[in-house]
Amino acid sequence: MQYQEFIYPAIKFVVIILITWLVAWLFNLVFVGWYKIGMSLIRLHVQRVATIVIWTVGLILAIEQFGLDINLLLLLIGILGVGAILAARDVLQNLAAKYFSDVYIPFKMGDTIRIREHSGKVIEINPVATVLLTEKDELISIPNSLFIKEATVNITPQAWKEIIIPIAFSGHAEVPEFETRVIRAINKFKLHMDERFPPVMTVKKREQNYFEAVLTLMIKDPSRKDEITSKINNIITEVSAELKGKHHKKD
Amino acid sequence: MSVRICVNTQTPLVRFSPDLAPDPGTRGPAVLSEMVEDRDYQFSPGGVTRMVYPLLRRMINEKFVSDPCWVSLSPTGPQEAVLDGIRLSHVKIGKNATRGYGRIKEELWKVIHGLKGGAGKDGQPFWKKDYADFTYYNRHSADRMARLDRDLDFDLFYIHDFQQLAVGHMLGSLKPKLFRWHIPFDASIVPEDWKPFLLTYFNSYDMVMVSCQRYLEALRRFGFKGAVKYVFPYIDKAAYGSPAKDDLDGFCAKFGIGDKDRVILVVARLDPMKGQDGAIKAFGRVVRDHPDAKLVLAGNGSFSSSKDGIGLSKAERWKDELLRLVRELGVQDRVVFTGHISHRELEAAYTRCDMTLLPSHLEGFGLVVIEGWLYGKPAIVSSGAGVADIIVEGENGFLFDPGDTEGLAEKVRGLLEDPETAARLGRGGHHSSEKCSLEEGLKRESEVLGALMGNR
Repeated sequence: MQYQEFIYPAIKFVVIILITWLVAWLFNLVFVGWYKIGMSLIRLHVQRVATIVIWTVGLILAIEQFGLDINLLLLLIGILGVGAILAARDVLQNLAAKYFSDVYIPFKMGDTIRIREHSGKVIEINPVATVLLTEKDELISIPNSLFIKEATVNITPQAWKEIIIPIAFSGHAEVPEFETRVIRAINKFKLHMDERFPPVMTVKKREQNYFEAVLTLMIKDPSRKDEITSKINNIITEVSAELKGKHHKKD
Repeated sequence: MSVRICVNTQTPLVRFSPDLAPDPGTRGPAVLSEMVEDRDYQFSPGGVTRMVYPLLRRMINEKFVSDPCWVSLSPTGPQEAVLDGIRLSHVKIGKNATRGYGRIKEELWKVIHGLKGGAGKDGQPFWKKDYADFTYYNRHSADRMARLDRDLDFDLFYIHDFQQLAVGHMLGSLKPKLFRWHIPFDASIVPEDWKPFLLTYFNSYDMVMVSCQRYLEALRRFGFKGAVKYVFPYIDKAAYGSPAKDDLDGFCAKFGIGDKDRVILVVARLDPMKGQDGAIKAFGRVVRDHPDAKLVLAGNGSFSSSKDGIGLSKAERWKDELLRLVRELGVQDRVVFTGHISHRELEAAYTRCDMTLLPSHLEGFGLVVIEGWLYGKPAIVSSGAGVADIIVEGENGFLFDPGDTEGLAEKVRGLLEDPETAARLGRGGHHSSEKCSLEEGLKRESEVLGALMGNR
């Protein structure tokens, strides 16, 4: 009898663990296939967290089969979770700040900026920190969260004229073809541009069927920044659609 | 330590015959050693390829680099080829894009040479339609290099010449990037308007290399704060031999050079910046006193001028102007246009001449002076050429100011009338040529590459 009391929960435990493993495996398979496009770092974090959740639920259900009180277990997991979030809050702040600073803080790679007592040329923007190279050849790492708390001064000459337009393209098109079409299409705005500056596209990330870039332009009248940015965004959307259509037809 | 390097030039190492079928893409790279030179391909003339090729070969032999790749523009021939252990990767962008690219390149070239002002009524070229083609070519080159890098994991990128300045930024790689500026750089003639463009792209390199001290100083005055070095261009002395008597006689017969003619040799592509017109005008004065003098103008168009290259036709237009000038001065029987000459003929030309003349208004360096020195020939050099930095007046050559026709004529007369001085300058030049030897170039280039690698 005692033997049977142990063997059934043990079989259930093993079955639940196997099912958990299968669910986690299927999730990863479907997730990677479905979410090919996107920031690989975020994708990785989502994947990891989801896998941990699946395994946690699976383990709780499996342990429950032995009649153990899971409330205490849940409490422990909860405390550990809150602890982990508190421990990683700085990193999470930086990740969130990177997301916002990409769009709202006006500097990019190669610019010279000043924040608090630090100044230098931006040589790296990673998800956690922005790395500055000072005039003394020192590297300073500024946590990204600082950029949404502190005033950042972009001391790059003519930075006030700059408009930076983020681009994300998924499809078969090659970067040279995309870039050429965009440059041709935005030519109609040349009267609004400071002609001393060429349109500069900087590719930030590249995968087989996906790329992220920023288009940097210098305009004559900064009061028209929003209007011109919006129009150029429309052009980029049109060019993207044209290229996708062209390549769909080819396919 | 062996460095895996990716070189990028606009001009390809070799030009393929347009009759040669493009590769089917299934057999791997074309092997040049299995092809016939002068039928299937020809080595491109011009200073850049003539420097880079022997440098790479020597670096491979000395195991300083391994499996180098060389990315360049080549409208004809196979996309991939191999020569002497160097993988040649050719970018093809189509005829229309090539022409658009060529027109913007020409504008940049004119601005840097002081032939075109800043944002005048024509505006900057960046907002002209052709600029998309210029970007297209540069982006293709950068893309090709990045793709090769994914397979071959280079240690360093070495990009050459002004028209490819944007490639470094487009590459986006954090690996060391070296840029060599081959043309002149005079901060006083490059318009202020061009600072944003030039400095933006110069700043994307870990180091910029120029051909002489004065360009380095000019770049600093212009506002460039990054690392910059100067290394004199160089040539492989071993590639310049003495022609056989038959070759020498054949050369003279082909171009009508008599035994008693005193030959003044100008080796340069046909381009207004090369100042052949100044040489002809000065020669017109010299020949009055020295009817035995003969001016030999060797060279035709560059890769940019050739129909199978970028297709700009300025060489032909310039030749027509020079021919008209020759007729006006009545010196048709004393001036020879050789057009393109083979390397063997070039050796004969240097052997046969009495002096070399570099009349360029502005010249990135002027390796032809060094070539002449290898044959012990005295040189008269425009002060607008980079090589003027190593001329010591009256010791290894004479200098003259471009545009000073009488000054140039006087120096030519001086050498024709004073054979002893001519011989002394020739000897002095031969000694100075060591500064521009491949060995010296290899040493200096290796130091630069080593410093870039060591900094990482």
